[in-house]
Order: sequence, then C-alpha cells, then structure tokens
Amino acid sequence: MTPSANQAISPFDRHWLAETVRLSEGHGGPREDSEANRQARAAGGSFETRVLTRAERLAERDGLVGALEQWRQSAGVMLLALGLLAILLGGTLAGAALEGEQPVNVFWALGSLLGVHLLALLVWTVTLAGTGGGAVGRLWLWLVGRISRHGHGARLGPALWSLLQRAGLTRWGLGIVVHAFWLLALLSALATLLAMLSARRYGFAWETTLLTPEAFVTLTRAIGGLPSLLGFPLPDVDTVRASNLDQGAGVANEAARQAWAGWLLGSLVVYGIVPRALLLAACAWGWQRQLGALTLDATLPEYAILRDRLVPASTPLGVSDPAEPEGIAAHAERPHIAGQGAMLVAVELDERHPWPPALPKQVTDAGVADTRAQRQQLLERLTQSPPARLAIACDPMRSVDRGTLRLIGELARLAGAARVWLLTSPPDVFVDESRWAQWREALSELSIETTESAPMTWLEHGHD
Amino acid sequence: MTEPLRLAVVGHTNVGKTSFLRTLMRDAAFGEVSSRASTTRHVEGASLQIEGQPALELFDTPGLEDAMSLLDYLEQLRRPGERCDGPALLTEFLRGTEAQHRFAQETKVLRRLLASDAGLYVIDARESVLPKYLDESQILSLCGKPLFPVLNFVASSDNRAEEWREAMARRGLHALLSFDSVAPPVDGEKRLYQSLALMLPDAGPTLERLIVDREAQAAARRRSACRLIAELLIDVAALRQRVAAEPEAVEQAVGAMRRRVREREQQCTDALLRLYGFRQEDAVTGELPLADGRWQDDLFHPETLKQLGVRVGGGLAAGTAAGAGLDLMVGGITLGAGTILGGLAGGVSRAGRQFSVRLLGKLRGARQLSVDDAILAALALRQRQLLRALEARGHAAQQPVSLNAPKDDWLRGKLPPPLATARAHPEWSSLDERPDLEQANRQAQVGALAEEIKGSVD
Repeated sequence: MTPSANQAISPFDRHWLAETVRLSEGHGGPREDSEANRQARAAGGSFETRVLTRAERLAERDGLVGALEQWRQSAGVMLLALGLLAILLGGTLAGAALEGEQPVNVFWALGSLLGVHLLALLVWTVTLAGTGGGAVGRLWLWLVGRISRHGHGARLGPALWSLLQRAGLTRWGLGIVVHAFWLLALLSALATLLAMLSARRYGFAWETTLLTPEAFVTLTRAIGGLPSLLGFPLPDVDTVRASNLDQGAGVANEAARQAWAGWLLGSLVVYGIVPRALLLAACAWGWQRQLGALTLDATLPEYAILRDRLVPASTPLGVSDPAEPEGIAAHAERPHIAGQGAMLVAVELDERHPWPPALPKQVTDAGVADTRAQRQQLLERLTQSPPARLAIACDPMRSVDRGTLRLIGELARLAGAARVWLLTSPPDVFVDESRWAQWREALSELSIETTESAPMTWLEHGHD
Repeated sequence: MTEPLRLAVVGHTNVGKTSFLRTLMRDAAFGEVSSRASTTRHVEGASLQIEGQPALELFDTPGLEDAMSLLDYLEQLRRPGERCDGPALLTEFLRGTEAQHRFAQETKVLRRLLASDAGLYVIDARESVLPKYLDESQILSLCGKPLFPVLNFVASSDNRAEEWREAMARRGLHALLSFDSVAPPVDGEKRLYQSLALMLPDAGPTLERLIVDREAQAAARRRSACRLIAELLIDVAALRQRVAAEPEAVEQAVGAMRRRVREREQQCTDALLRLYGFRQEDAVTGELPLADGRWQDDLFHPETLKQLGVRVGGGLAAGTAAGAGLDLMVGGITLGAGTILGGLAGGVSRAGRQFSVRLLGKLRGARQLSVDDAILAALALRQRQLLRALEARGHAAQQPVSLNAPKDDWLRGKLPPPLATARAHPEWSSLDERPDLEQANRQAQVGALAEEIKGSVD
C-alpha cells in the first residue's frame, strides 16, 4: 500500500484495527510480526503510536484494512435500511393517529404519535447507566454482526464493540444511531401529518367516562403551554370545553379545528422532534469529545508484551573493541635447575585456610605471596637459592586469572621440580566443582603438576 | 536530548560484569556468561533507553587479570621525580607496544574507561580483599574518572561487603553501590541509579527519569501479568463440556479436557515469560521449573497440588474415581452438583434455548464436565509463583528457582467470587466452542480477579 493510502486511515480506524489485532493475538497467540515491528520502530513515536503502526502494518498484510472498508459499507447499508424503517414507522404512526374513527380523538391521536417514542426514550434513559443504546442500537449492531459473520468481519465487529466499551464511546455512538432513528421517524410523522391535515378535513373531539371536563381543560392547556410559547396555537378554555364529543365544536367550528390541529403538531414538535434533536446533538458532542480522548491502554497484556520489541528498554550497541585471536600460551623453556631442599609457598590465601600447616623439618616455609613486594621478594629469594622441590599452595575456589598463573609459572621455573597444591575448602564453604577442573586445565597447559592432598611426603623425600 | 551518560563496567575477571549488564538491560541474551574466567574478551556496549531515547550507555569490558604486572610496568614507565599524572601516564602506556601485546586485555579496559564519564568497578563481594584487587583499583583510579565500586553477590550469605567497604574507603573510594545481579532486590535498580545521580549531578535528571520509567514499566508489567493470569483462570473456570454417561465417554472427555487446560496454562506461561523478557530458548529459562519453558510437574498430579499447598478431597488425592452420581470424581475433575446447578442458573439467565438443551441433556443422562476448584487454586498459585519468581529474577540468574508451598493463605478455602461467576458462563471461556469474550461482564470479572491477584502479589 502506498503512503498516501495509509494516511487515509483515520485515528479511530487505527485504534479499531489495533483492537482487532490485539483480540486475535490474545486468543490465537502472537503473530509473525518481525517486519511490522521493524517498521513500527522505524516510524518512531511513543509506545502507543508504535503499537498502532504495528497493528496497521499487520492489518494491511492480512487484508484487514479492506475488510474494514467492507464492514463499514455493510454498516452503512444497515443504517440506510434503519432509516427507511424509521420513515415507514413515522408514516404509520401519523396514519394511525388520524385515520380510524371520526372525529379524531385528540388524546388518542397524541398518544399514538408520541407514546412509543416516549416509552423508548424512557428505556434509553434507564439503560444509560449501562452501555446505553436501547433496542434500536442493539438491533443495528446485531444486524451488522449478522451480515459480517465470516472472515475478518467476524473479528472486526467484536473488536469495535470492545473498543467502544473501553473508550466509553458506546453510549454516545449508539445514542447517535438511536436518536437519529427516532428523529427521522418523528420528522416523517410530522410530514405525513402535515400532508394529511392539508389534504383532508378532520374533526377533533375528546370524550371521557370518569374524568371531569375541567381535567381536560387543564391537561390540554398544560400540554399546549410549551408549544404555544413557540407560536403554536392553543385552543382556549371555551373551545376545549365545547370540543367534547357531544357538543362537537371541534368538528363543526373551523377555528376550533385549526386550533386542535395546531395543538397536535406543536406537541409532536416540542415533545418529539425537539428532544430527539437535542439528544442527537448531545450524543454527537459526547462522541466527538471522547473520540478526541481516545487512547490506547498500554497495560493490556497483549500490548505490554510488545513493549520490549517496539520500545526496547535497552539495545546492544555492538562490539566496539573486538577480542584478539587467542594467542597460544608461550611455553617458556624450563631451565634445568638442581636446587637444594624443599620449600612450600602459598598464593592468595585468606583466613579460611590456616597457614602454614605443620611442616617436616626439611621443608622451608616461604610464607604467602600476595602483594607485589612479597612476590618480588620471593622471586628474588628463589633466584638466589633455588629449591629442589617447590610446592605452591592455592585456593582453587578463586577464579583462575592470568596474573596468578604467570606467578605460578615463574615460581615453578625457579625450582628443580614444582607442584601446585589445590587446597580443599573447609566443609562449610560452598564448593564450585567446575573451578577445580578449570585450575587443573590451566595448570596442565603450563605443564605443572597438581595435587589435592598435602604434598609433604613428596617435599620431604622427592617421591610420593 | 542531552548526550547519554557513558559508564564503563570494569573489574576483575569473573566477577559478573556481563551479568550485571544483563540484569540492568533485562536481556538475558546480552554477551556471554559462564563460570569460567575471561569469558568476555571484547568491549561491548549497551544503551538503556527511555521511550526509545538513549539515557545511559554501559560498556562491558574484559576482566582485569594481571594488574600487578601492569602496575610494575607502569612504574617502569614513570620517570623518577615526576609528579604522577594518571591519565598522561596511561596515554603514554597505550601508545607503547606492550599495550598491544602483553596487556591487550587491560588496554581495552583502560581505553574504554578513559572514554567514559565514569566507571562502575564491579566486585565479587564473596572474595576476600586481596592485594591484587587493590592494585587493580589503583590502576583504574589512574584514569582520572569517577570510579564507583559495585558490590555484586551481596545476597550471598558469605559475602565480605564490610571488608570491601573499608578497603575501598582506604583507597578514597567512598561511594560504594550494592547490587546483586542474580537476585536483585526489589528496589535495587532504583537505589543504584539514585546513588549514581547523587555522585554525578549532571546526569541526575536523566537518571531520575530512568528511575521513573523503570518503575512505571515494572508496575505495568505486573498489572499485565495479573491480567494474563486472571484470563487463564476465568477461561478454565468457565470451561464446561457435556459428556454422555458411559464410562468410556467420560474418560475420553476427561483426557481431552485436561489436555486443553494444560495447553491453556502453557499459553499463559509463555505469555508471562515473554512479558518478563525471558525467552524459552534462553538457557536461563531452562533452569526455571520449566524445561524449554514447559512445566515439569503435571497440573493434575496429586503431588503437584500437595506441593502447592492445595487441600484436596480423598478421591482426588488418591487420583482415582470415587463413587458415582453427580459428585463423581474422575482424576482431577469433578462433576459437582454445584456446577450443574450453576450451569442451570446461568442457562436460565442467558436463554431459554440453552436451558432446555441442558435439561434435555440431563434427562438423556448426559452430564457436564468442568474443572475442579482444587485445580483452579493450583493453577492460580502456580502462575502467581512463576510471576514472583520472574519478578525477583535477574536476567543473569543461572541457578534454579524453587517453587515451594506459598506462605500466605491466599486461596485457602474459598475461591474469588469472579471464578464462581465464571462457572455459570461457559461462553466466557476461550476454550468454548462459541466463546463470547468481549462481554462487558466478563471483562469486569477479569478485571476484578486481576486486582485480587495483584493484591496478593503486592
């Protein structure tokens, strides 16, 4: 897809696609997304932006974008159908109000014009606390769900629902559908009513079994009060009184008939069309406002998992100073040294190994060589009077390092024969067995013998 | 955007420099780690980022191995009577031939430290303070860069942190940091950055932002993890399957159901590992109680439940079918009367159609199979333990994590209400044939359950 086509995708659609991808990944496991992730990283922006970009790329790859367009078309068709239904409903309501027995019972007519609408409005208000939307909204959703049950459409519907829910858009979105439906229906009723009243002569009357005429006067004036403020005619008290079925002023008197017709139209406009129009506007406003505040909930697990891939907390910078090829350890030629006596020396010991151990008389203790000065001294001493046998004790629990190995090598070259005594750790100390092997390996490369038991016999007699 | 702070991670060989970096990066794949000395023989950089913007650059360096000889050599280079100017001396040394040969490894370290803003001198706190280590710190000090000793492995019982503290103080290095890269304390990373911010005031704001970002991410990760576990539990609690009365049919269905539950648990485990940045193929996860990211102990084995401290009934503990009727126990799965009643209630509230199907099914002798409470509790406890283990685990850890019976009383006795609600809604299970997962009520219950899990982890 070309970049210009990408820009056509609105922010809302981006969120919708992201939600669709999220749901399908949540239920069907992660997608192969290395390319999409790379593109999202390259596009930059905040984590949320990158999630949206990634989803868009995946959606393009999987043909979701086209499916979204189709879904929208189906939804549009369904809206059109709903609109036709509304017009039909309005016409029917108006017809039912005026046709039938003559003269027209004004309160019956008003009831059939506004009754269903007011009842639906009541239901909508009650369900407002929940998702809102009422029967018409649900009917529309169900219809759209029906027509796009297969392929991608099946995932787009639930995703839209889930997205609207989380963003708090459901009540506004469905509200728009519901109120637009009723506004259309009531406008259609108004048009039908106007046409019928223009083309035919209707007489109006009221009748009662239980109530007094005064109650009707009050009721009529109460209902007509608001419309009259907008200029709709309001039958005066005498007209109302004279319009009962027996006196028949609403049928005979021209002015009374017009007053009643105006009263009916005014009530339809003020109690039907105006509230629906206001609610429609309110829902449209709420929708726009919430839409502006549409954000991605980055803590949803399906998104949180993506964080390290889209906005890595750390990235390797690569090797800046490569390792040299491993040099072959130079085997210094071991000079032949006769030497005299036996000597025991320790390197890098701590208080865990009490030093020195009990030594036979013939064996000299050369102490511990740790500091540079001690090492230097020891090397001097060995150069001056090399021993025939030298045992070097060390703690194999320390890691092998070049410095220590070099020292051991130098010491060994200054004696007739040398052995490294790998001390056994006290029982309470954690022993890493692999270290033993590493020491033995390193020392055998230097051709130095190792021993794990005290080499006193060897030091004393030259053999084990 | 200011230049990121550049820190060289230096130290003796085999003290865990690469591990330290791995843990800070949350990336178990960085560099190479082994118990052998001189595993890292090159300089490798890593950038810590905030929302994609580099904040901190860390450089892993080879270990110092022969500080004593180098110090001897440097003293040779120094002309007698001259005042000691560390960086100048080192520059002269780096120009010489020995720097390329005998001290090639040390050269890399010094070159890197000279090019950085400061050095983190990693110390294995279990080691005794040997003269060679002190010589090392002396050479590093010659670079003229702020040097912060970092005591690694302080979680170990036989550490000598105090000795090191004193020895470093004698060398004028008072700003000691503690950080265990294998078992980092909960706020270890934060304390590390805070200490650094105190000592490097210029980098203070950046480090502050890094702290805030890392904390926010940790909180978000935990929230997501709890949600993943909640989804798993709701899926399994809601799972229900109709099965004919014949024993073979029951047995077959039980097997199939167990398989599906195990697979679902695995899916959650995989997601948790992904969330915490551990990959299945990492050697590190091989040492979790998972082999290649799979649980070793079977969820439906009585021993597993016992280990997790889940109390089970006689039939389940024995692992055999006990009796017949509505409370028939089959392996880990019970046909509870409560489940059936719950199912009926759910059916009524949903649609008359389902109700009649279910009732008809009952009359025909078909029954409902659902997952037992004990299994649900075991699932919840096990995943929570995994979550805790993953949170507490540095990306450098190579020792196994042991999963023991939990010490608190979470899930002893009663299961959380969302699970009871889910029992009545088979369509809430993603394992159902016709799942309906985006229902507002289901989402609310998942949210409530996730909160409860989070409460028990916090």
